[in-house]
Amino acid sequence: MAIKQTIKYDSERDKSFPQEIMSRPGCEKLYGCIQCGTCSATCPVSTYMDYTPRQLMALTRAGFKKEALGSLTIWLCASCYACTVECPKEIKITDIMYALKRQAIQEGIYPKRFPIPVLAREFYNMVRSKGRVTENFLAVMMFLKSNPIAAIKTWKLGLNLMRTGRFAYKLDSMKQPAKMATLLDKADTGWKGGAR
Amino acid sequence: MNEPTKTQPRIGVYICHCGTNIAGVVDCKAVAETAAQYPNVVVSRDYKYMCSDPGQALIQQDIKEHKLDRIVVSSCSPLLHEHTFRGACEKGGLNPYCFQMVNIREHDSWVHEKGAAATDKAKDLTRAAVSRVAHHKPLETKTTPIHPDVMIVGGGIAGIQAALTLANAGQHVYLVEREPTIGGYMAKFDKTFPTLDCAACILTPKMSAVGAHPNITLWTYSEVAKVDGFVGNYKVVVKRKPRYIIEDLCVGCNECVTACVFKEGKFEDEFNMGLSKRKPVYMPFPQATPPIVLIDPETCINVKTGKCKKTCVEACGDRQAIDFTQKAEMKEVQVGTIILATGFQPFDAKRIPQYGYGIYPNVYTSLEIERLVNASGPTEGHVVLRDGKTKPKSVGIVHCVGSRDNKTHRWCSRVCCMYSMKLAHLIKHHTDAEVFNFYIDIRAPGKGYEEFYEKLQEEGVHFIRGRVAEVTDWQMSKEEEGKLVIRVEDTLAGFVRRIPVDMVVLAVGLEPHADSQDVRRQFNISCSTEGWFLERHPKLAPVNTFTDGIFIAGACQGPKDIPDTVAQAGAAAAEALSLIKAGSIELEPNTAFVVAEECSGCKTCIPMCPYTAISRDDVKKVAVINEALCKGCGTCVAACPSGAIKQNLFDDDEITSEIEAILAK
Repeated sequence: MAIKQTIKYDSERDKSFPQEIMSRPGCEKLYGCIQCGTCSATCPVSTYMDYTPRQLMALTRAGFKKEALGSLTIWLCASCYACTVECPKEIKITDIMYALKRQAIQEGIYPKRFPIPVLAREFYNMVRSKGRVTENFLAVMMFLKSNPIAAIKTWKLGLNLMRTGRFAYKLDSMKQPAKMATLLDKADTGWKGGAR
Repeated sequence: MNEPTKTQPRIGVYICHCGTNIAGVVDCKAVAETAAQYPNVVVSRDYKYMCSDPGQALIQQDIKEHKLDRIVVSSCSPLLHEHTFRGACEKGGLNPYCFQMVNIREHDSWVHEKGAAATDKAKDLTRAAVSRVAHHKPLETKTTPIHPDVMIVGGGIAGIQAALTLANAGQHVYLVEREPTIGGYMAKFDKTFPTLDCAACILTPKMSAVGAHPNITLWTYSEVAKVDGFVGNYKVVVKRKPRYIIEDLCVGCNECVTACVFKEGKFEDEFNMGLSKRKPVYMPFPQATPPIVLIDPETCINVKTGKCKKTCVEACGDRQAIDFTQKAEMKEVQVGTIILATGFQPFDAKRIPQYGYGIYPNVYTSLEIERLVNASGPTEGHVVLRDGKTKPKSVGIVHCVGSRDNKTHRWCSRVCCMYSMKLAHLIKHHTDAEVFNFYIDIRAPGKGYEEFYEKLQEEGVHFIRGRVAEVTDWQMSKEEEGKLVIRVEDTLAGFVRRIPVDMVVLAVGLEPHADSQDVRRQFNISCSTEGWFLERHPKLAPVNTFTDGIFIAGACQGPKDIPDTVAQAGAAAAEALSLIKAGSIELEPNTAFVVAEECSGCKTCIPMCPYTAISRDDVKKVAVINEALCKGCGTCVAACPSGAIKQNLFDDDEITSEIEAILAK
């Protein structure tokens, strides 16, 4: 077992990071966290997380950006909102998870072949180009870009879907998909511009 | 004495810096310089601390030197120093009411940013006061006698302590308690933290002292129905609910209880938190004070239907203490001061369904455990599960149930950490079970409290830092079979745990009584937003209220433990005593009066007066205001259609000149 240095120095902190996250809608109350751990114990998927949601709150507000954005936890979050419902300080933990995810995608520090960010990216691309989502195409794209071998393993499911007529052979689209792109671009610039 | 003249008043203006409290925001020198230009101002100064002795001496000296007849001080809130400056005026030879105070701290420097606007506001307020004070008339301070008797509402440890203190000092006390016995929650506790002395052993001597004290009139099973009057002269009506027992005749022999047609107890015993059953006729607990029984009208067959063999009456025999014809009785008493010691109510654990109270039988509240570990409790001190026989092998105590939670109560209930540790110790002692405490932060700030925490740790009680997410009977593994599972993050270890236990104890917090708002209105005092009774000053007047002569003690003011409650009860008793010993109190002469020539005798004002101070002189056909009863609220002044009622310190010319000056630029 290799011995690693675990101490953190102040220079490793990004002091503007907590403010950056808290400026996103719904994330304002982060500093009110009392570290009670209700979120972690309520979370149905905390069983598999590297950092518990509570630890993620602590890392974020202390400015340990690299650790927070690099955490698997934000990608495991199933957005069930149980933590947000139970938090005694009414912190919208799920919203903070989303803010962290967005930040991680923007900065390109997310696990590259991890299915969840891949799915999010493909979902966005499909909506942007077609205005609609065709689920089995989306699933195929996700498998191809994350774990193609897993796609082969689900052949039986695909076959069943085809047999029951639930498998689309053509990408669904709205009538004027270009308008969706214009809309999303506008929302995007608004977000990146003065909205913060 | 410099007689104020209406033609040419000579006004002195003083602007206080209050250190940097005011001067840090307002340019005090500039305000003083501007004020010197206002009409009739002879002297205008700014000074670092006007309330200091040199500051007051300055006023006195100027009154003599410059023949001042009116004074304006711009400083802090009149609540704090109006009395001080009126005193300074009086010492300087001026009538104390030829003075006006301006609040440029709370109303200006503390709420505004530094700059010209804040200074301008101070100038405007000062100008208004200068304009107003020119119309002030010399007034006589009126005094009112203080009735020496005291009413104490609530017979928990706070009320008991205050009652005994006052009664021992020779004052007559009326102690009113809603329940059939005094003792409150402390009577239900087994031991008290951190010394672990038995609650009953230290409380019951005080209870019987109250029962036997010649200076205490004890009214249990009674409620205050109406409060009238003001400091020194309160008239209180107390409703005595029928207990169907003649108090003076009952000796507490319990023979009627034995003889009751119900052979076994059938109804929830309130004293044991419903863990045992009682009969319709019962003694709340063996050391109840007064030591007499009562009949519960909700469950007694005879009260409900009139068709009962009345074996209780037979058993009582010649004493004839049972009286089924008893009706509620109204008692009216005159008191000078009132102490409210109405306490708290425990948080209803059912409001947090994920903790399973009322769903899983083996989830208990802390008060139920107090009764379970108590030797005189329903199980004679055996800690067993709801089945009545199984000893728990593992127990989880959940802290902060209904505390530190924005969805229920935001406050820390202050006592739960300590009583949870006490219960942990007692449970371990009684059952040798493995005990887990689930806490957010341990709050042990008291004499010997931290040491108690240390002792518990040494005893091997587990302390897991994490707020419990849920208590469930959903079992995921063999070790959890037949158990309740507590799901919690062990925040110090950094992972989520599932801990199977036999018994869960919910450390419920303290909350204001459900009817605290009604009580507050009845006694004309204020509440904090949470519903706790509001003290006059959080540090310097913690037992006074904004209503003179009404004091608060104990948990009705906010969560507190027994030592703090007792200390506060003593303080409230001392405050009441200080009023009583003074014999009388000075009142503001801001009373209303009727200008008889202008009164048309229309009687509009009479029903308006909240203090029933106005009557009608049927001979002269005009309204008459009783000065002793008038509290200066101004309702009649505003209501009078002919403008015939005027009020001292709030005369029309005083108010209009003030408004005109503040609007003039």
